[in-house]
Amino acid sequence: MAITSQPSADGQELTIFIQGRFDFGAHQEFRDAYERVNVTPKRYVVDLQGATYLDSSALGMLLLLRDHAGGERAQIRLIHCSPDVRKILSISNFEQLFHIA
Amino acid sequence: MSEHLDLGVQALLQEVMEDEYPVLLDTFLSDSEARLNALGLAHDAQDAEALRRAAHSFKGSCGNMGAPLLAELCSQLEELGRAGDLTPVPALLAQAEQEFALIRTLIESERQRY
Amino acid sequence: MQPPLCILIAEDSPADRMLLATIVGRQGYRVLTAGNGLEAIMIFARERPHMVLMDALMPVMDGFEAARRIKQMAGEELVPIIFLTSLTESEALAQCLDAGGDDFLAKPYNRVILDAKIKAMDRLRRLQATVLEQRDLIARHNEHLLNEQRVAKAVFDKVAHSGCLDAPNIRYLQSPYALFNGDLMLAAFKPSGGMHVLLGDFTGHGLPAAIGAMPLAEVFYSMTAKGYSLAEILREMNAKLKRILPVGVFCCAVMLNLSFQRRVVEVWNGGLPDGYLRRGGSGERIPLRSRHLPLGILDPSCFDDRYEIYPMEAGDRLLLLSDGVLETCNLGSECFGEERLLGVFAANQQPDLLFDEIQQALSAFRGEAQDDVSLIEVSLIEEGQLPHSPLIFSDSGQNAPLDWSIGFEFRAETLKRFNPLPYLLQLLLEVQELRAQGSVLYTVLAELYSNALEHGVMGLDSSLKRDAQGFAEYYRERRTRLANLYEGYVRFHLDLRPEGEGGRLSIRVEDSGPGFDVQRMLERHSSSEHLSGRGLKLVRQLADRCSWAPDGRSVCVEFSWPARHNPAQCPLAQE
Repeated sequence: MAITSQPSADGQELTIFIQGRFDFGAHQEFRDAYERVNVTPKRYVVDLQGATYLDSSALGMLLLLRDHAGGERAQIRLIHCSPDVRKILSISNFEQLFHIA
Repeated sequence: MSEHLDLGVQALLQEVMEDEYPVLLDTFLSDSEARLNALGLAHDAQDAEALRRAAHSFKGSCGNMGAPLLAELCSQLEELGRAGDLTPVPALLAQAEQEFALIRTLIESERQRY
Repeated sequence: MQPPLCILIAEDSPADRMLLATIVGRQGYRVLTAGNGLEAIMIFARERPHMVLMDALMPVMDGFEAARRIKQMAGEELVPIIFLTSLTESEALAQCLDAGGDDFLAKPYNRVILDAKIKAMDRLRRLQATVLEQRDLIARHNEHLLNEQRVAKAVFDKVAHSGCLDAPNIRYLQSPYALFNGDLMLAAFKPSGGMHVLLGDFTGHGLPAAIGAMPLAEVFYSMTAKGYSLAEILREMNAKLKRILPVGVFCCAVMLNLSFQRRVVEVWNGGLPDGYLRRGGSGERIPLRSRHLPLGILDPSCFDDRYEIYPMEAGDRLLLLSDGVLETCNLGSECFGEERLLGVFAANQQPDLLFDEIQQALSAFRGEAQDDVSLIEVSLIEEGQLPHSPLIFSDSGQNAPLDWSIGFEFRAETLKRFNPLPYLLQLLLEVQELRAQGSVLYTVLAELYSNALEHGVMGLDSSLKRDAQGFAEYYRERRTRLANLYEGYVRFHLDLRPEGEGGRLSIRVEDSGPGFDVQRMLERHSSSEHLSGRGLKLVRQLADRCSWAPDGRSVCVEFSWPARHNPAQCPLAQE
């Protein structure tokens, strides 16, 4: 599991890249990816291109990010979702909380 | 003299043992007599394994006490014991006893200093 | 402070022994000495030194044998043994290792090397001691945790199993440790005789996953027993979980409200895989899709309690599953998946065997027992086939009031969002004589209320419900009209009177609707078996008396009971 994050040039957006299994093992790394950055972004992007697997703990971690990013007011996009990942997100109806692309 | 009894080693032993140094020398002398005796008995009994073990132990303490020639003779005796060839043993034993007599004299004179 | 390191020196040559003992002693260690192997093991047994310097060749017992025995006595503790040797042959060195030696020290001794070796071995010894200590600590923690889980499970089982999972129309498959997989299965009879069923799956594993199950089960059982509706219970469960669980922990769940009399099921699915309604006759398979976020995520104000309603016939069955079913893996890490599950449906010939066939397919696929799988099948059967479940009361029921009357009027704003039935029922069940008929009372109240609201106040046409399509339309229309309700009322008048030694309850329900032709309706329903006819027929069967006002705007039902028999007061009856 490797999770990295990259702020945009203007610091308005933070992109978090997920590699490998996105499950409970990634908990601390995922938190670090948005808590240990020097910027205060307005928007977040979670890039799931490299994610091979996603379980319900990962959904929980996304909710934690949403909470961190302002809850109801959070602007979070989940991008590069594979069909499998998209299916998991849609069973839980997470499209009501996140922009999924 | 130093080829029989290494004075450098003696100096180190003295440093380590401090007041106990003379006791160590006495212990070595009496133990060596016992070892030589054991070697003779092993040869009389033609017991190659006993000879090897006795020679091995004696070699070790000679090394520690800085008696290189005696240690070398013990090493040869140990080798003979391992090979089971006891023919050259009496000659080597005689040499060892001679060497030990020399060392005893040297040690006793060393001992006099305390 | 730790005691000084204690070192045993086993050496047969007195001079070497003395020398070594002095060197080691001068370095600040405590020294014990032995002149042969046997002495060494005796001293070891008595003094338990931390480390041994061992000559290989010694009389009586050599160093190899002594080393072996000391290692045996030391057990898991690391007691380093450094062989003292002038041995040079690799075979003899190997012998030292075989006997358990940890290092060598060649003669003649070098103080610096000796001290370095003792220090290195001491570090190794401490490391091993730390590892053992931590291992034991972990083992104790684990033991502790397992014990806590056992207790938690025992408590939870008492709560969870107070329900009716053992009812004849339910079959289920669940691991005994499902709780710690976050899986939860609940079923309970409603006061009206129907049934609520819930399959839940909390995020995560272990205690964090199990922790939310308890409050969820409590809400489910207590609200079901009090006659609350599916939507109300879901709202409360969501609100409670949202309040108590940390962000990121939630519960995917399907909840069913099965009514045997009305022959309908209400379904709400938030986050679990498709469940299925399978028709007994046609074999038609209707997926019960997840349309909502799981419980515990949304604020109460945003929670969506909309559910779907399907008519059911005897022989129809509902199948709910956790994602563990679809994610069951075989040795090749392939998932069982939806396609294989649907394959089992397609191959099924005898509906009764479907549950077994799914179970078999799962075992065959995985090749061993599943412990992360929750599967439940609920069938619609004739109500008479179900056991009668008594309602449970916490008070003693003494001093029940018997002579009162009370009236309520619920107006549009209230009708929209409030279910008065649990309150009315609670009130009536204060009367001990009525408790035995709790389910009947609830059923009658529920029927009268929904008639008054749906047909009276909102003017819905029950004949719509003749077929499945009209049925869905009916409930769509009901939702719309209720949302747009701005006037109208439903009135309840409850009247309780003593009658001889017994008593009588009259319930009058009145609504603001235009009324209807009572005579015509009764004739039409007398022989009817279509979906709308059941309710009123049921009321007439259950109540002792039932009559409509001629204008069709109010209905009155009566329940009577004879003198109270209290066996506790006459334990030795005359006969």
